[in-house]
Amino acid sequence: MSKPVPIPDAASAFFWEGAARGELLVQMCADCESFQYPPTVVCEKCQSRDVRPVRVSGRGTLYALTVMHQAFLPIFAEDLPFTIALVDLDDAPGARLLTNIVDAAPAGLAAGDPLEVVFEPRGDYALPQFRPARSQPERGGAE
Amino acid sequence: MKGARQATVVGVGYSSVHREIGVDTRPLVVDACLGALHDAGLTTSQIDAVFEYPGAGSQIAVNVQRLLGIPDLRAFGDLGGSGPSGLAAAMAAVAAVESGVCDVALVFRSVNREWGQQSGRTEVPPAGNAAQFTLPYGDFGGIIPSIGMKKYRRLAELGGSEEDYGHITLNARQWSAMYERGVLTQPLTMDDYLSSRFIAEPLRLLDCDYPVTGACAAIITTAERARDLAGAAVTVDSVAFGTGSRPDWTFSDDFVFGGTIGCAQHLWATSSVTPAEVDVAELYDGFTHITISWVEALGLCGIGEFGDWVDGGKRIGPGGALPLNTNGGQLASGRLHGLSFLTEAVQQLRGDCGPRQVPGARVAVVANAHGPQCGAMVLTRT
Ligand SMILES: [Zn+2]
Repeated sequence: MSKPVPIPDAASAFFWEGAARGELLVQMCADCESFQYPPTVVCEKCQSRDVRPVRVSGRGTLYALTVMHQAFLPIFAEDLPFTIALVDLDDAPGARLLTNIVDAAPAGLAAGDPLEVVFEPRGDYALPQFRPARSQPERGGAE
Repeated sequence: MKGARQATVVGVGYSSVHREIGVDTRPLVVDACLGALHDAGLTTSQIDAVFEYPGAGSQIAVNVQRLLGIPDLRAFGDLGGSGPSGLAAAMAAVAAVESGVCDVALVFRSVNREWGQQSGRTEVPPAGNAAQFTLPYGDFGGIIPSIGMKKYRRLAELGGSEEDYGHITLNARQWSAMYERGVLTQPLTMDDYLSSRFIAEPLRLLDCDYPVTGACAAIITTAERARDLAGAAVTVDSVAFGTGSRPDWTFSDDFVFGGTIGCAQHLWATSSVTPAEVDVAELYDGFTHITISWVEALGLCGIGEFGDWVDGGKRIGPGGALPLNTNGGQLASGRLHGLSFLTEAVQQLRGDCGPRQVPGARVAVVANAHGPQCGAMVLTRT
């Protein structure tokens, strides 16, 4: 038995295929420029069908976490305790990912802490997960 | 004014509750429904509508119609999965009765312990559809990880302490000790709460309600019909649903409060009374975070002020200024999944509660669920 592998659909395939390449992509509406997650079939703000994958930096901010002390699926028991978290993406306002925190003791983290994405291979895909930020944010070229 | 068709609650009933696995819920739902009919002074043939909230351990409306020998129904519904828990059945009955679709509605919730038991699964469900964004990360166990994160975020964003949550649990045990159907009736100390094991830290075992097998029921009819019945009727003063924007247990816009704040605003906007007039509150406690959210959303205190307001538990306990969950709620009297908050409110307003009676209670507020599934009701007795 192995851990659950995401089963993409037509709206989400770009996300999981991007993750498999080590890229974090989220949907942006071409009409109103809203970001959204999870990916779906329309822009939930303006109902445009023109929602496009946009690659983001992978830097994020911790919104909330929970440390699982009970594995509701036995396949996760070997990982206990493990951390599930919600992370706001710094360069895609409105996109908040459910993820795991890795490479950090949760007791040392607080809401608002800077995080960065890492990818854990899972089946044919990879899971975007987050760890405390190590690299400095790149200076934006546009400003 | 709704006049003669104003919805009223005229009877409530309960089954016994059970902790063991594998109990057949059919005799229990019959017990609860016959109890409610007896309480109302009605017979099965006078029922013309049945509404219930389905789920494992439930019996669908028409199955219970058959078990009770009700000849025909003018309205029925199984309002499950995505609505305000057991209260959803009563909310549908209110709408159906007031609209004239039916006159006498039976509502019930039957639930088994297995349904409340999220652990112990061995097969890995497929991580498709909405689960592709949660399950691969180990986010499983119903809404438990989400509730753990809501507690975390509340403490980070609004402050307060774990003791705030503990007061909900300790309070439930105070009331259950005075309730003939209480299940967990031993008193707890704050140390007991703070040393209970983490499930999804900071969510503790004692933040979670207690799965049981059982049923409860209520009868809802018009004020006009209620006048012909022997028992005291309780008026359904206002009803409101709430979802919040971008409704979801995990990815909603208001993660900490879900739809509770909007639901409460709708509720008071159509009520004849104000939050300051509430005598007793019966607020969902599947998890303590839900109860605290409702206290604040309903305006019983300000947002983020629960910790001061609860006053070490004194405000919500026996003899307090705002008695809360006066039958021990689901934390201490078992998870009958929502409808038992309504039935307890009705009993309080009728003055039927013996040692746990809130003296002179005339206004009750009831709320169910959280996140995208909110529902609430104001009940009055004139
Ligand atoms: Zn748009």
